[in-house]
Amino acid sequence: MNVTDITFWIFAAIAVVSGWRVFCTDSMVRASFLLMLSFIAVGLIMVLLNAPYLGIATVFMMAVEMMVMALFMVMYMMNPAGLNPMMMVHQHRFSIAAGVFLFAALAGLIIVTRFASNPVAPGTEVVAGLGKELLGDSMLIFETAGVTLLATMVASVILSSRSGRFGAADTGSVPPPLEPGGEPAGRQPEQGGGHAHHHH
Amino acid sequence: MTLTTILVVAAALIGIGLYGTLSQQSFVMLMMGLELMLNGVMLAAVGFWSLTAGGLPTGQLLTIIVMAVMAVEMAVGFALITAVYRNRQADVTEGLTTLKH
Amino acid sequence: MTPIVLTMTWVAFLLGMAWYIAVLDGLWAAAREGRQPRAPLANPLYRCATILRQQSNLTEAPDLLNWRLAPALYAGLAGTGVALVPFSSTNVLADLEVGIVWWGAVEALTVVVVFLHGWSANSQFGLIGAYRYVAIGLPVMLISMFVLIAAALPAESLAVPKIIESQRELWNVIRQPLGLPLFLLLGLSLSFRGPFNYADSADIAGGTAAEVSGAPRLVWEFARLAMLTAVATVAASVFLGGYLGPWLPGPVWLVLKTAAVLLVLVGLSHQLARISPSRMMTLIWTVLLPLSFLHLVWAGVLAL
Repeated sequence: MNVTDITFWIFAAIAVVSGWRVFCTDSMVRASFLLMLSFIAVGLIMVLLNAPYLGIATVFMMAVEMMVMALFMVMYMMNPAGLNPMMMVHQHRFSIAAGVFLFAALAGLIIVTRFASNPVAPGTEVVAGLGKELLGDSMLIFETAGVTLLATMVASVILSSRSGRFGAADTGSVPPPLEPGGEPAGRQPEQGGGHAHHHH
Repeated sequence: MTLTTILVVAAALIGIGLYGTLSQQSFVMLMMGLELMLNGVMLAAVGFWSLTAGGLPTGQLLTIIVMAVMAVEMAVGFALITAVYRNRQADVTEGLTTLKH
Repeated sequence: MTPIVLTMTWVAFLLGMAWYIAVLDGLWAAAREGRQPRAPLANPLYRCATILRQQSNLTEAPDLLNWRLAPALYAGLAGTGVALVPFSSTNVLADLEVGIVWWGAVEALTVVVVFLHGWSANSQFGLIGAYRYVAIGLPVMLISMFVLIAAALPAESLAVPKIIESQRELWNVIRQPLGLPLFLLLGLSLSFRGPFNYADSADIAGGTAAEVSGAPRLVWEFARLAMLTAVATVAASVFLGGYLGPWLPGPVWLVLKTAAVLLVLVGLSHQLARISPSRMMTLIWTVLLPLSFLHLVWAGVLAL
C-alpha cells in the first residue's frame, strides 16, 4: 500500500459512510451537508485519478448545490433543526433489500469482469485536453447541455411561479391541520383575493 | 487503488442511493438518494476514463454531462416540489394519490 | 525556499496580514470617531488576550461538532486560498493546475461554513444571519467566478502562477478594468465586512457570532481576517501582477501589493453603508451580475 492507496481508502470510506448517514440523521441541514461530504470525498478521489478539473469542479458545484438543498430542506420539512428523532420512510425492508441486491449484483459483476488496463499516460495535458474537447469536436454536445440548462431555468421558473394563466397557484389551497380533523395550520388567506383594501 | 475497488465503491454509493430513493417519504430526501446514485455514476465514469481509456478527453466530457444532468434534476425537482406544495400542501410522496385510483 | 521555510513563510504571512488588518481597523475606527488611538500596534494582541480569557459560551442543544468545527474550517479555507499564490516565480506552496477552480471551491465552501456556524448555535440571531448571508453570498460568488474566468483567458490557464506570468507586459487591472473592483466586493462578502456584513452585523446582535465566545470566538475573528487576506492576496496576484515588479525581490512586491489592496478593502468596509438585504439582492442580480457578463465578453474579445 502506498500513500495514494491509503488516501483513496480514506476518501472512499468517507464517501460511503457519509452517504449512508444522510438517511439516518435527524436533521435536514446535517443530511444535506453529509451528502456534500460524500461528494467532496468523491471529488478528491477524482483528483487522485488524474482528473483535477473534474474533481475540484465537483467540490465547487456540490458545495453550492447542497447549500441550496439545505435551504429547501428547512423550507419544506418539518423538524428542520433535528430536535426530534426523524425517520420518515416507507417500504423500508424492501428498500434495504433492493439497495443491498443492487450493490451485490454490481459488485459481483465488477469482480468477475476483467477490465482492460490503459491508464492515463503521465504528462498528458488533461485539463487543456478537456477544454479543447468541450469547445472543439464535442461542442455540439456541450452546447446542448448549455441549452438544456437554460430550458431548465425557464421550466423551473414556470413550474414554481405563483401566478399562472388561471390566477394564483395557491388559490383555494388549505394548509393541513396540525392534528387530525383540526383547524388548518398557519395564517388564513384573506377573503376577496387580498384586494379588499382597494375599496375603502 | 485499482479499477475494481473504485467501481465497488461506486456500486456501494449507487446501492445506498437506491435505498434512499425507494425508502424516503420526503421529496427532498428522495432527491438526495437520486443525487447519491449520480455520485456513484460520476465516480465510475472517471474511474473508467482514468484507468481504461488512456486519457481520452471524451471520457471527461461524459462526467461533465452527468454534472449537468444533476443540475437539471435538482432545479426541476425543486420546482416540482414547490408547485406540488402550492397546489396540494404535500411535502411527502404519500400526499400525492391522484394517479393511484 | 525549502518546503518547511515555505510553510513558515505562509503562516507568518497569514498572521502578519491579520495583525495588519486589525491595526488598520483600529486606526480607522479611531479616526472616524475623532479620538486618539491607544496603543494601535499592540491593541490587536490585547484583544486576543481579552477574548481568550473569556469562557466559551454554550447554548441550549447546539450542534456542537459543527459549531466548534466551523471557525477552524473557515480559517483553513482561507489558508488554502493563500497557499495557491506564489511568493515568487519558483516558490508556491500549492502549485495546482486548476488553482482558480479551487479558489471557487473555497468561496463556495466558505458560504457553507458560515451558514453552518450560524445554524449550529441553535439561536435565532445566528440563523437569521446565516440565511441572510447565503442569500447575498451565493450571487456575489458567481460574480467573482466570472471575473476570475476572464482573468484566466489571456493566460490560457487556470493556474495562478501562469496567470501572473501572463501579466508581464500589462497587468490585468489595466487590461480588464472592471475585474478588480468586482473582485473586491467578494472580499467584503467572504469576510462579511462593511456593506456586505449580513452575517455578523450589529443589527442582529452579532448574527452568526452572537453566541460564540472564548477560544472559538478568537478563531472565528482570526478566520475573518485571514479570509480577507486570502482575497487580497489572490486579487494582488490575479489583477496586479503578484510578485512581478522592478528593483525589489518578488515576495516584497507581493506583500506590498497585498497590503495596498487590504488598505482599500478596509477603507471600503468602513466608509460604505450597508443597505437592506433585499435591495442588495436586487443590486447584485440586476446590476453587478450583468456587469460581470459584460466584463467577461470584453475580456474574451480582447483575448481573441
